[in-house]
Amino acid sequence: MKCAQARRMFGAYWDDDSTQAEREWLESHFVGCAACRKEYEEYSRALEWVAALPRVEPAPDLVERTLSRARRAVPVADHMPAPGVQWVPVTAAAALLVVMATLISPWLGLGPGPRVASRSPERNAPEQLAPATPAPSTLAGGAPVPVPVAGAKSGSEPLASVPDSLFDHNEDVEFILDPVTLRRGRASLTRAPAGPRGERAVITF
Amino acid sequence: MARVAEEDERAFAEVVRRYQARLANLVARLLNDRECADDLTQEVFVRVYVHRRNYRRGSKLSTWLFTIAANLAKNEIRRRVRRRNWFSLDALQEVFRDSAMVLADSTEGRDRTLEREQLQQVVGSAIATVPEKYRVALVLRDIEGLAYEEIALVLGIPGGTVRSRINRARALLKRKLQPLLRREVAP
Repeated sequence: MKCAQARRMFGAYWDDDSTQAEREWLESHFVGCAACRKEYEEYSRALEWVAALPRVEPAPDLVERTLSRARRAVPVADHMPAPGVQWVPVTAAAALLVVMATLISPWLGLGPGPRVASRSPERNAPEQLAPATPAPSTLAGGAPVPVPVAGAKSGSEPLASVPDSLFDHNEDVEFILDPVTLRRGRASLTRAPAGPRGERAVITF
Repeated sequence: MARVAEEDERAFAEVVRRYQARLANLVARLLNDRECADDLTQEVFVRVYVHRRNYRRGSKLSTWLFTIAANLAKNEIRRRVRRRNWFSLDALQEVFRDSAMVLADSTEGRDRTLEREQLQQVVGSAIATVPEKYRVALVLRDIEGLAYEEIALVLGIPGGTVRSRINRARALLKRKLQPLLRREVAP
């Protein structure tokens, strides 16, 4: 146990990096332990050999050759970033991506959650929707109204004129084709106009 | 170094002159290859010149130079290991046999210079067989004489790790030199 402890102290003893108490303890151990003394002699001899290795001299023309190569080398601009600041833009970009993904995912139909339709300025304008006929329908005043066709793309048109296929028709969304008027989330049945039941629906958001 | 960053070629030449011997020795001892040492030393200085604007004022130039040199030497060691083109164990044993013969013949009046050169060759080869991460710490400490703190900066590791690597390297080296040490150190 003492010998193992002594041998662990060889490095610090050689480097003169041990405390006075450690040095005295180790030297007193050497007096009584020939094996450790011999071990340390071998240790120190090996390090003396290493320290005594001759210095390798560089080639005499190394300076000229180095300068010649350095002249041809293109310097690199100072691009060392300040330490500890890199995480700020990375975190900001990640946060922005998360927010954008959260906002966009309902429109892409990625999430299983409820669909949320954004409100347009024309949300209070009553609109008539053709139920199932592919032919364009008209408003009471004769203005053409877009027909909700599945798969239609939304362009730069106002939301009111965008076919409602924009809102993903999954099974969790149910459209009531009976004449219904929705006012601020409160549904009330209206009298169906003349014609087949469910022909027209007035939906107001 | 500030003048080097401002395109002062004379200042750069002065840096090369001042540090070329230390770097060449470091690289030569790490690789145990005298011929390659000049090329790698030159490469160190070219990199310093190319990246001179990245030098952080206030940090020690020698630490930066030793860091680049140690990294280049480590790359070279790894490249050689991949190519299996380095000092093999058989070659080391051959050197030991030869050196043992030289040392045995020393009593018969062999030239002491030859004996010393042979010993140096054996020690250099033994250092080259120490695993790279221990070898770099050993050479920086026991050949270049760097302080533990500076070695920690050069290698980018904590001071405690430097100490343990150096202790491990010394123990490995001693084991490799054991046949010669037994002859040298009388019981």
